[in-house]
Amino acid sequence: MPMKIENGPFWKRVEENLQNDFMRGAVAGMQDRGYVRRLGVIEELGHWEEWRSLAEQIRKHTLENLDYYLMQLSENVAKRGGHVFFAQTAEEANDYIRRIALEKQAKKIVKSKSMVTEEINLNPVLEAIGCDVVETDLGEYILQIDDHDPPSHIVGPALHKNKEQIRDVFHRKLGYNKSSDPVELARHARETLRRDYLTADIGITGCNFAIAESGSITLVTNEGNADLVTSLPKTQITVMGMERIVPTFKEMEVLVSMLTRSAVGQKLTSYITVLTGPREQGDADGPEEFHLVIVDNGRSSILGTEFQPVLQCIRCAACVNVCPVYRHIGGHSYGSIYSGPIGAVLSPLLGGYDDYKELPYASSLCAACTEVCPVKIPLHELLIKHRQIIVEREGKAPVAEKLAMKAFRLGTASPSLYRFGTKLAPSAFAPFAEDGRITKGPGPLKAWTESRVFPAPNNERFRDWFRNRQKGGNPS
Amino acid sequence: MKVSLFVTCLIDLFYTNVGKATVELLERLGCEIDFPEAQTCCGQPAYNSGYIKDAKEAMKQMMRAFADADYVVTPSGSCAAMLKEYPHIFRGDPEWEEEAKRLAAKTYELTQFLVNVLRVEDVGASLPGRATYHTSCHMTRLLGEKEAPLRLLEHVKGLELVPLPNAHQCCGFGGTFSVKMGPISEQMVDEKIEHIEEVKADYLIGADCGCLMNIGGRIGRVGKPIRVMHIAEVLNHRN
Amino acid sequence: MTRGTIQNRDAFLQNIAKRLGRSPRLSGVSQPQWDYAPQWTVFAGYSQDDLLSALREQCKLIHTDYIETTSSELAGALKQQVAAYGGGPVIVPDDPRFAEYGLSALLHDEWPAEQTAVHVWNSSLGRQNIDAAEQANVGIAFSEITLAESGTVVLFSRNEQGRTIHFLPKTYIAIVPKSSVVPRMTQAAAYIHEQIEKGAVVPSCINFITGPSNSADIEMNLVVGVHGPMKAAYIVVTDR
Repeated sequence: MPMKIENGPFWKRVEENLQNDFMRGAVAGMQDRGYVRRLGVIEELGHWEEWRSLAEQIRKHTLENLDYYLMQLSENVAKRGGHVFFAQTAEEANDYIRRIALEKQAKKIVKSKSMVTEEINLNPVLEAIGCDVVETDLGEYILQIDDHDPPSHIVGPALHKNKEQIRDVFHRKLGYNKSSDPVELARHARETLRRDYLTADIGITGCNFAIAESGSITLVTNEGNADLVTSLPKTQITVMGMERIVPTFKEMEVLVSMLTRSAVGQKLTSYITVLTGPREQGDADGPEEFHLVIVDNGRSSILGTEFQPVLQCIRCAACVNVCPVYRHIGGHSYGSIYSGPIGAVLSPLLGGYDDYKELPYASSLCAACTEVCPVKIPLHELLIKHRQIIVEREGKAPVAEKLAMKAFRLGTASPSLYRFGTKLAPSAFAPFAEDGRITKGPGPLKAWTESRVFPAPNNERFRDWFRNRQKGGNPS
Repeated sequence: MKVSLFVTCLIDLFYTNVGKATVELLERLGCEIDFPEAQTCCGQPAYNSGYIKDAKEAMKQMMRAFADADYVVTPSGSCAAMLKEYPHIFRGDPEWEEEAKRLAAKTYELTQFLVNVLRVEDVGASLPGRATYHTSCHMTRLLGEKEAPLRLLEHVKGLELVPLPNAHQCCGFGGTFSVKMGPISEQMVDEKIEHIEEVKADYLIGADCGCLMNIGGRIGRVGKPIRVMHIAEVLNHRN
Repeated sequence: MTRGTIQNRDAFLQNIAKRLGRSPRLSGVSQPQWDYAPQWTVFAGYSQDDLLSALREQCKLIHTDYIETTSSELAGALKQQVAAYGGGPVIVPDDPRFAEYGLSALLHDEWPAEQTAVHVWNSSLGRQNIDAAEQANVGIAFSEITLAESGTVVLFSRNEQGRTIHFLPKTYIAIVPKSSVVPRMTQAAAYIHEQIEKGAVVPSCINFITGPSNSADIEMNLVVGVHGPMKAAYIVVTDR
C-alpha cells in the first residue's frame, strides 16, 4: 500500500466516514481513554515539560547533524557484518529488497509493523516475484487478510474495524469458526502466525530508533512479533526513514520513554529490542544476514526548510489521539497512511499539494496536537505554513477567499476604511436578519448558516456607543 | 489605572453588549478606559488562512493604534494570543520587531488582567443558576491561561459552576474552518453541545466570542434552552 | 566478523548536507550538554528496598506475577511457579548462575525425575534449540538489569543464551537478583553506553521485556498473550 490511499476525493471520503458510526465510536472511545491514561503517566513521570525540551533538543541536534550520524551508523553496522543500503527513492529501496528476496529464493516473508514499508509500497513488489508476505502485527494482519484494507491510525491500524467484522474476515479467509471474543481471535492469529515465523525465509522490520554509536536498531512493540520476525528467519531486512536515528543509547532511552507514554500511556511497552548486526558467531538463533535500508523518499527536501521540525516526529500518534477533527472523520478521510495532524503536515510534503491540498485546512488550529507532541513539533503552525504556501506559492486558494482577504487587508490596515466598512455592515446584512440573527446567509455565510444561526451586526457598533458615552450621551 | 481596550472586531460589530460589560466592569474596578479609535482587527482571520502579508498590515495598524497604551486589555483569549504572537511574526523586521515586543508585553486578556494585574478574584458579581465554562483552545493552549476565568467565576454569587466533560476539546469554530470544513465543524459543535446538555447547565460561559458565536449559533439553530454568555457579561451581572 | 557492504552512501549524505545548506559533516560531531536531564530524577535517592517496592507495584499493572524469595528458597519457589504455569517442558540458557543459585539439582535431577523435560540452550545443537523453545511451556532466564519504574527485565543474548528463550515458550519466568534492580531504563542505557565507550562488543540482541506479550488491536481490548508468552513471572531473590 503506498502512502496515498485511493479512496476518492476529500469530501467524498469525509462524508463516507462521517456516516461510519462504529468507527466514530471507536475513535472517540480510544481518544477519551487515551487522554486520561496519557495524563496519568506523564503526571506520574513528572517534569514533563523538561522531558519534552530534552527530546526536542535531541531530535533537533540529530537532524542538524544527520549526515554525520548516518555515517557513524552505517560504519558501525558494517563493522558488525551488516549491510547498509542508502535509498534515495522508494524504487531504489524496493529494488534492493527485491534483489535480496530473489537471491535468497525467498518464499515466505514475515514483517513486523512498519509505516515506511507502507509508504514505499514494498509488499506488492515482493508479491510480484511470488513471495508470500505476511504482516505479523495483529492489527496489520487483520487489514492484510481483509484484502489490504488501509490502516486508519499509525499505531492502531485496525482501529476502524469492530470485532464482528474481524471475526467474519477470519472466517472467510482463515476458516475460523469461533466467536468474536478478542481473546479467541488473537489466539487464532497466534497459532496461524507461529507457523509463518517458523517457516519464513526473510524477516522485514521497520525501525523506531537507530543508534549511531553502535549501529543498532531499536524496535518497540507490545506483541513481541518483531522479536520473532528477527530471531527466526535467516535473513533480516530493516527499513528505516533516514531521520529515525539517535546518537547513543542514552538518547534512545529518552525517546523510547517519550514514545511509549505518548503512544499508549505505558511506561515501556512489553518488548523493546535493540539489535546489532546479524547473529554472532556461534549463536543458534537470530538472522545470519542483516540488511539496513535507509530511505529518503522525499525527506531530504524537507531538511533546511521551515518544515524541518516535522522530521523530529517519532510516530507516537499522540497528536492523532487528541485531534478533534480526526475524532469525527477517522483516518481514512486523510487519504494517506499518515493521518491526523502529523498526516496533515507530512502528507503534502511527501505526496504533494495536488493530492493533499485540503489536509492543511482540516484543522481548527486548536493546537491540541502541538500541546501533546513529545518532541515539540509546532504542528498547528506548520499547518498555517502550508496554507501560506497554498495561497502564495501554489495559488490554489479559492477566488472568494482571495477577495475576502483583499477586503480584509483594505479594511484592517486602514482605520478609516475599517470604520466605514463596519458601519455599513448592519445595512448590508439587514435583508437576511430576523430578530437580530441571520438564519440564511449570503455568500460565504451560507456554509455557516447551514448549521448555525449567525448574529446580525448591531445597529450601534461598540465604538459608536463608546463615543456617545464619552460625549456624555445616553449610556444605554 | 489607564486601560486601553482592544474590543476585537467581533465585539465591535456583533457583540456590543460584551464590550459594554467589559467597560463597566473595568470602570467599577477603578480603571480609566481608553478606546483607541484606530484599532481594527488583530489579523488572525488572514494569518490563520495563510494570508500572512495581509495579516501583517492589520498587525501594523494595531501596533500603531496601541503605541501609547500602558495596558492593552481585550475580552478575547484568542485575540490576546494573536497579539502575543506578533514578536514571533515580526522577528527580524528592523522596523516592527521592537514595537511587536512592546505590544505583546503589555497585552492581557480580560480575566488575566483582573486576576494577575488588578489582583481581584471577587468582582462583586451575582448570577443565579447552573453554569458550565468552555475553555477556549487559544486561551488555554496558545495564551496559556487556564486558571483566571475559573477563579473569577467561582466568586460569582448564586452561580453553580459545573465542570464541562471533555472541556479540552475544540468547539469546532476555528475561524474559517467553520465554513471551509462546515460538515466537520458541525459534528464538533454538536458534540460540545451534547456535553453542555449532559451537565444540565442553564448558562454556557466562555471568554472568546468566536467560540460563543459558534456554540450559540448552533444552539440557536437546534433550539436548546441554554443561554450563552461571555464571561465579561457574567462578571458585570449584578442583581 | 567480515565487514558488511555500504552502498550509495556518498551521494545520499552529500544531498543531506546540501539541503542543510552546508558542507558534509562526516566526523567531529559530539552531543552537546543537553539543557535538561529529568530522567535522572526518577526514583533518585531510592534505596534497594524502595526500588523493590516500586517494582512490586508496577508488576500489578503489567499482568506479571511477582514473587520474593531468598537464594535458599529459590529452587522451591521456581518449582512451584513452573507447576503453577502447567509444568514443563522447560527451556533455560546455559548460565552458570543456575548452579550458583542452587538450582542444579532442580534442573538436572528433580525435574527430569518428574518427567519435566528441561532443555539447556546448547548452540552446537543449532536449530534444535529453537524447536525446544517452540515446544517449551516455560522459558526461564536471569535478568541482568531490572528496571523498577517499568517492571522490565533486561537480557543480553550470547552463544549460551538464545533470544527465542524469551519469546517462543508459552510462559516466561525471570529470576531477578535484588541487586540488579535500578530505577529505570536510564541506568541500563548509561551502563550499555559506558561499555561501548570502553570498546566492548554490544550483544547482538538486547531485550527489555516488560511482562507478557499483549495487544489492543481488536476494539482496543487488551489481550494478554499474543505472539510471545501469555504469562510472565518475576522471582526476586532478595539476598542476591
